Amino acid sequence: MASDRLSGGCQCGAVRYALHEEPGDPHICHCRMCQKAFGSFFAPLTGVPREKFELTRGELATFMSSDQAERGFCRDCGTPLTFRYLHSPRIAVSIGSLDEPEKIPPANQYGIEGRLSWFAGLAKLPGEKSTEDDNPDLAGRIAASNHQHPDHDTAEWPLAGKGR
Amino acid sequence: MAKTRVTGGCQCGAVRYALHAPFSNSSICHCRMCQKAFGAFYAPLAGVPLDSFEVTRGTLAIFRSSDAVERGFCRDCGTPLTFRFLAEPKIDVSIGSLDDPSIARPVIQYGIEARIAWVGDLDELPGEITEAPGSEARAEFIKRTNRQHPDHDTDRWPPEGAGR
Repeated sequence: MASDRLSGGCQCGAVRYALHEEPGDPHICHCRMCQKAFGSFFAPLTGVPREKFELTRGELATFMSSDQAERGFCRDCGTPLTFRYLHSPRIAVSIGSLDEPEKIPPANQYGIEGRLSWFAGLAKLPGEKSTEDDNPDLAGRIAASNHQHPDHDTAEWPLAGKGR
Repeated sequence: MAKTRVTGGCQCGAVRYALHAPFSNSSICHCRMCQKAFGAFYAPLAGVPLDSFEVTRGTLAIFRSSDAVERGFCRDCGTPLTFRFLAEPKIDVSIGSLDDPSIARPVIQYGIEARIAWVGDLDELPGEITEAPGSEARAEFIKRTNRQHPDHDTDRWPPEGAGR
């Protein structure tokens, strides 16, 4: 069954992973540690038992943000990839690093003491234009030289002959 | 009049920066490249003129996600830090990496072609604080062994005697 395996990885493709079980506890965490680790307003995370997490390419670089938690990322492009409590048998992946993040809607918010006051209004901000409509010339140049790994596993990466 | 000086940096503190001009804009970008680079649902970015951005500690690691764009991050902890179009005299920082992200409330959304259907509903999810009942001991342990750089500049980092 296809849903038995979700794949994901970093932006540059040096690190790829597979989840061999439907991930659980999808959530966003607003705590200040997750904010800074992700350079963002919150960390979106979902987890599986460690033995169901498989690195299929490359190595995770890790930062122990405390003696309790290890955060994995790609040393070549920086994408935040994993979070785990050292004493937990589970590991979480960043939902945005999944190849199909829309499949994993969060069910909870954690760390709400750190939630930014205007977080709730973000979806109502103006923004009717797509990247393509906004600046077609720029979008074209980006598409023509895109170095992001595609949203599926690849037999070989980077593609032969494609300069980085 | 006090000169504008806003600070930020990565989670581990190896890279610190200062901004010497007010933000020209503040946004979230939903495009798939920003999603994967941040491991998240969108990238929150705020821009200043390039010559008003100063790295005050360490060095940005760079991934060129296309020939038009450079993304800066910390090679020691992965925090996504900067974004810049190479043809523009401007650089964006990730809002979550600011020491006080609340000062850069976004005003516009970009890349809405990739906006995840449920992203506007996140604020309505049930929420709990980090020190929720049952989690106090863990929160205390994290606090005691926290290796995250504080949300202000430091003369020395890591503090003397702190194991990393």
